[in-house]
Amino acid sequence: MKMISMSKYFISLFLVLVSGIHLQAQEENTQETDSIVIMHQYGLRLGTDLSKLARTFLETDYSGFEINGDYRLTERVYLAGAFGSEERTTETDYLNSTATGSYFKGGFDINLYDNWAGMENLIYSGVRFGFSNFHQTLNSYTIYDVNSLTWGPKSSSESEKFSGLTAGWIEVLLGFKAEVLNNLFLGFNVQIKRRIFETEPENFENLYIPGFGRTFDSGNFGVGFGYNVSYLIPLYKKAKK
Amino acid sequence: MKKCFLLLILIICSCEKDDVCSENAPTTPRLVIEFYDITAPEKTKIVPGLKAFGIDETNEIVEIINETVLNRTILTVPLDINNTQTQFKLYERYDLKDAVVNGNPDIITITYNIEKVYISKACGYSNNFEIQTFSITEDSSLWMDNSEIILNQITNENDIHVKIFH
Repeated sequence: MKMISMSKYFISLFLVLVSGIHLQAQEENTQETDSIVIMHQYGLRLGTDLSKLARTFLETDYSGFEINGDYRLTERVYLAGAFGSEERTTETDYLNSTATGSYFKGGFDINLYDNWAGMENLIYSGVRFGFSNFHQTLNSYTIYDVNSLTWGPKSSSESEKFSGLTAGWIEVLLGFKAEVLNNLFLGFNVQIKRRIFETEPENFENLYIPGFGRTFDSGNFGVGFGYNVSYLIPLYKKAKK
Repeated sequence: MKKCFLLLILIICSCEKDDVCSENAPTTPRLVIEFYDITAPEKTKIVPGLKAFGIDETNEIVEIINETVLNRTILTVPLDINNTQTQFKLYERYDLKDAVVNGNPDIITITYNIEKVYISKACGYSNNFEIQTFSITEDSSLWMDNSEIILNQITNENDIHVKIFH
């Protein structure tokens, strides 16, 4: 709060100086700064994850798309969400599997950044609940057999589909959104996730969960990032408190 | 900003320790045979000069790679995972001199069902077996007298699956 009142003071002082009005020291004390009202833009921001688009074009084993958005509720709090779809092929020495599906994420962002007057940038932290509905196809595998030299190895490329898979997770993210043109934002965020439930396929496991990302043998954690471009549809302005 | 983006991609894509199959991962188990004394069925008995070969579908002899003979009382041999039957020729008093093989060969036949078992992302699947039959082919000079399936499920190599009495 001290920061806010200080910046108010400096901004008003700056404006007073620019207007070229000379004020006596004693007059300054009597002048109230509340005459300047800072208006904040409220609205719906819609965007997409550029990294998913880039990877779709650059990587042969990935395709994905996401629409994300946020709606400003208060001075600092935004309702935020995303939905999208991903297809990702995982290949190791012994198997090749493709996960395909869609996901939804919903939650809140809190802006931690104190903007200068007239600016609408965000450095934010957020929390999401994520849910994914997907299927996995085991495209091919080679049986793991260290003694296969005698009789020869066994491989199969008969694809096997594991359908009706779901997973849910909690996600904490940290990022920024910078207004690069009027109402156009570029942003980057990193995500740490923890699965809270999932349906495991029979005699297989979820190697990739759309929206969650790849899974790790070590536990329920996951990581992700987003590189977003978004457009703010301005709805109304509200005075900064 | 771009640097940061690339760095993060590297961090996220490179931590793939569990994409390499560990040597400790359970592999497809081999068949474990233990040799017992026909006159004292509780006691193991050494097979002098024990040597095993595989026999393929065309009746050709197949050298067994990594065959394990422990004290000549336990023999560990791989099953053919592309078939549901494997034959072995087990020699007693095997001896190879000037390309002439001496010894007494007996032929065993194992039939089994194969089940694929998921291990991990890095190792994929291994096979387990369920022994259906185990038989000794009749010949004029058998050194084996009898056999007994101890454990039908072949899931690891710590178990003894078949006993052969001689």
